[in-house]
Amino acid sequence: MATCTGCALLCDDIEAIVENNRIKETRNACRRGAARMKGCVNRLVPSIDQKPTDIESSIRKTVEIIKNARSPMLFGLDNSTCEAQAKGIRLAKKLNAVIDDTSSFCQGLLIERILQKKLRTCSLDDIRNKADVLVYWGSDAQDSQPRHLSRFSYFPRGESRQRGYEEDRKAIAIDVRESNTAKICKGHFYRIPLKGDREFILALIEALSGKVPAYDTKKMLELAGILKKAEFGAVFVGIGLTYSIKEDFDILTALAEKLPNFNIMPMVGHYNMRGFNEALFKETGFVNRVKLEPKAVHDNKYSIMESLIRKNTDAIIVVGSDPMISLPRPVLTYLASIPVICIDPCISMTSKIAAVTIPCAATCMESGGTAIRMDGKVISLSKIITSEYMPDEEIMDRLMEAI
Amino acid sequence: MDIGKFLKSPEYEIKITTYRDIFQAEAMERDRFGEEYKMLSAAISISKIDMQKMGLKPKDRVKISNSYGSIIVEAKETKKDEPGGLAFMVNSPWSNSLVSGDTQGKGIPEYKNINAKISLSKEEITTLEKLIAPFIKKPIPF
Amino acid sequence: MVTVMELYQLLPRTNCKKCGESTCMAFAVALLGRKKNVAECTPLLEANFKPQKEKLESLLLPTAGAEETGLIVHPELCTGCGNCVVACPVDVANDPHGAGMGCAPTNEKVIFKVVDGKVMASNIKECRRFGKSKVLCYACIDPCPTGAIEFV
Repeated sequence: MATCTGCALLCDDIEAIVENNRIKETRNACRRGAARMKGCVNRLVPSIDQKPTDIESSIRKTVEIIKNARSPMLFGLDNSTCEAQAKGIRLAKKLNAVIDDTSSFCQGLLIERILQKKLRTCSLDDIRNKADVLVYWGSDAQDSQPRHLSRFSYFPRGESRQRGYEEDRKAIAIDVRESNTAKICKGHFYRIPLKGDREFILALIEALSGKVPAYDTKKMLELAGILKKAEFGAVFVGIGLTYSIKEDFDILTALAEKLPNFNIMPMVGHYNMRGFNEALFKETGFVNRVKLEPKAVHDNKYSIMESLIRKNTDAIIVVGSDPMISLPRPVLTYLASIPVICIDPCISMTSKIAAVTIPCAATCMESGGTAIRMDGKVISLSKIITSEYMPDEEIMDRLMEAI
Repeated sequence: MDIGKFLKSPEYEIKITTYRDIFQAEAMERDRFGEEYKMLSAAISISKIDMQKMGLKPKDRVKISNSYGSIIVEAKETKKDEPGGLAFMVNSPWSNSLVSGDTQGKGIPEYKNINAKISLSKEEITTLEKLIAPFIKKPIPF
Repeated sequence: MVTVMELYQLLPRTNCKKCGESTCMAFAVALLGRKKNVAECTPLLEANFKPQKEKLESLLLPTAGAEETGLIVHPELCTGCGNCVVACPVDVANDPHGAGMGCAPTNEKVIFKVVDGKVMASNIKECRRFGKSKVLCYACIDPCPTGAIEFV
């Protein structure tokens, strides 16, 4: 059995049929997972200033750049194993560097609250076995974590949910658009206006407190009625909700207090983003945006966005992430103007502007290790095919040695 | 004679939010410089009502621009009936071309709340190569 | 989807019984159920019925790839999410500790399997829509987010 690294569900029931050291066929993996396991068409090659070179030269050049940097940054590691992440954090410490990852502009704030135990949470296995009311909020699991509903949340027969989803479970979608997940939740889709989450939560809190909310009274009372009856509920918080309430997580805590039978589950995209958050949290007490001097200092100015806007970073190592694809265009000019070291299995937009590229093995195809699922469970990743590429863990080691 | 072709296409204000699409994610895993990734990313889904209001048809090319960037993408009708007032783009370098870099010090960009202007266009759909071109360091000429 | 009446309108409507059915209407029903094929209506093979024959064939074309129960999977629409694998009552009954629990199927008796990111149907005679005592089950269609499964 192989584990899929397509998203933070880390499906570990994948059958990969290998022929001539290539994955010929996958079974049980979703469309995205299958594509990921079969690999990208354009593998990255080692390069310096976009001219091909050998990996040793790439590593030497990287060391030269980061040694000369005043304020280096390590960014990414969400698509790396826990082992590589731990080494990355050590590397950042040694360099007195800023370290941040995509959770900085994704689910970081939510995961921080969960790790601080300010929000009640549970495992996906608990959800499979016990959950009767599921709320997908600002989350299109069908497209982002495609097997979420079939493996854990809605469709499976669990220990206390033996009669099938129609009878045993209720799925509710709260979203600004009728997503594929909302389609599955037919009859329980609550459309909200853009940025309307806060108002919706406030009205829902009123309804749950026995008051009559002014906002869409009938639907709100109906929803409150369903939630109140839940024996074991789960709110799947997608980035739609996280982006909408921004730093105002107290409002989510207030809602959670009104829903004592509910657990909050962060819907994570990158397969080991939670792993990064947990590792950094354990080390520093913060999930991202940290400068390791080497004493950890946390500040919003250490976020990738602010580091680029304020031009505070003068060299950046990007591991398994493509900020040129995921960041807003206005900050790309600065990113492209500083030396970027791109460590990735595939050619990316970031590798195209990188001063140095270092190809690495694709995790769970060409290298193994462990990763942390969106619910905090540790999942092991095994290697299925051999390759000439170094795992990113080893690249971190090599950089550490050279510094 | 078609007078319309001498007139500038009317421009409309549009609000865009971003979302994820498994088919686009699949294309990204395979080849982010490929045609499939471009076709699935360089597109905007607009409700039927808004399409009619703006006189757009599916497969029309539209120019979407604001102070952060400008792109040419394909207009599509939303698969499900949407009430209008909000258009949708899959999260990609195309949608990110329209996102502000200002996070008010908080570090999270406004990916989900983009204001822009939209108009019919005859230009070709913006390619990834074109989006990335300004950032690629040109070799120093002799 | 094509209806019996649409098919019937294109038949000779002579109730000649050459196809083995007692009426043209019965033949239309059999056509739709894929128990008969167009060529079994011999009068249709005559030149003056050519347009009707071609029309019939084109109407029945979308069902050509269907299983005996009429099940068609549109692989280009399928996301491989596996909702159908887990929701199918036959899969639950035949693999309660695998597919039924949301896990990978543990045996070959299941109807739905996800291969290369797309669902594939097999063991079609296990389907509730198969055979004499068939029921009009929608258990795989309702949970599909993209309409990738259809019965024709």
